[in-house]
Amino acid sequence: MINQLLRYTIIYAVLLLLQIFLFNNIQFSGYVNPYVYILFVLLLPYKTSGWLLLIISFFAGFIMDIFMGTPGMHAGATVAAGFARPYILRAISPRDGYLPDTEPSMALYGFNWFFFYSLLVVTVHHLVLFYLEIFSFESFFRTFLKVIFSTVFTVIFIIFAEYIRKGR
Amino acid sequence: MRNLLLFIEKYNRIILFIILELVAVYLISNSYKYHNTQLIKGVRKLTLTWEGVISNVKNYLRIKKINDDLQAENTLLWNLIERYGLKTDSVIIQVNDTLHGVQFEILPAYVVNNSVNKVKNYFTIDRGKGDGVDVNMAVISIQGVAGITVASSDNYSIVMPVINTDFRLSSRIKSNDYFGSLNWDGRDYRYAVLHDIPQHVSINEGDTIVTTGYSAIFPPGIMVGTISDFKKSGSDFYTIRVRLATDFRKLTYVKVIKNRRQQEQLNLEKEFQ
Repeated sequence: MINQLLRYTIIYAVLLLLQIFLFNNIQFSGYVNPYVYILFVLLLPYKTSGWLLLIISFFAGFIMDIFMGTPGMHAGATVAAGFARPYILRAISPRDGYLPDTEPSMALYGFNWFFFYSLLVVTVHHLVLFYLEIFSFESFFRTFLKVIFSTVFTVIFIIFAEYIRKGR
Repeated sequence: MRNLLLFIEKYNRIILFIILELVAVYLISNSYKYHNTQLIKGVRKLTLTWEGVISNVKNYLRIKKINDDLQAENTLLWNLIERYGLKTDSVIIQVNDTLHGVQFEILPAYVVNNSVNKVKNYFTIDRGKGDGVDVNMAVISIQGVAGITVASSDNYSIVMPVINTDFRLSSRIKSNDYFGSLNWDGRDYRYAVLHDIPQHVSINEGDTIVTTGYSAIFPPGIMVGTISDFKKSGSDFYTIRVRLATDFRKLTYVKVIKNRRQQEQLNLEKEFQ
């Protein structure tokens, strides 16, 4: 238990550093802002209960907010992702269900499953995040385009990160 | 309570989700002016829409009251037309003389000074010679008879109201047309006394008293008041207490009535006196 807590703390710290020092500097034509730290919410164990997932998601986003100076935005987006995660997991569960006491990872359930899983969660996260940032539906399609591009890049980076984790 | 707990247990995830999202939006709106204004704009739009709906409903519910008021006003106006002899239900004849057949001219006026607690009360109106007001013109309120002009300057006129012991008014009981003389006994500003009604006439409390028009000042048929009580004094006449229709304590808006044929009538009558 303590072991796991430490493990997730390290994962979060690594993602935080990557996000701040690497991915925040990627500003490709104003449409691409990948937010890879959401991988942390993706990797939480299956057995995490609903309310705990929400609270962990909230603070994961909130700490990001503190470092990025955007109070509330990432918290709102990660809470939405944490809320959607159980429904997404249920919708795309493999034929024989999930193994107990594991975490959703590419190493266990394969590339296709992980690709859809991360795509859906990241889409929810980016949708909420970018619309919270704009806070109006006036430039709806411009924002939507931004969501799509950023989601694609985030998913690419997440899968890349999973390959590194797998190969370790 | 049990149901509430069950409800919270069943939907705890959704409730927590909504709470956390609200916290996030609160944080955002607290730190960004732009988001704050957007939020306020949205809320204001919502409340404005809602207020519009509410006021529509309220107006609809008040329709009956508004209708009653309009109807009362309508009746009043019709009565006024009737009273001043402009019969609109007869054939309308177009004449170039706008004063054709008009015996009485009406001029609205405001009471600018008033007294009710003396024996010889007077009040002042904001119309004078410049507006065509002269002495011996009738002044009525919306409820009924108010008084007679006794003096007028360029812009103001003094009116002797019914509640002045010098005031005499020829009035009649509307139900049986017997007429008598009305004056004030100097006591209660709400009551006057009607004399000279013979005792063989049957009268009732609540009977309406109206003007006769004999004096060529007041038009006939204007409300004076209602019989409040009466007693048979030693002579052959009743002493009738009349509850005046006009409330002199609340007098604010009056109409001055000019009888265009007053002089003609008086001149003719003078020859036989």
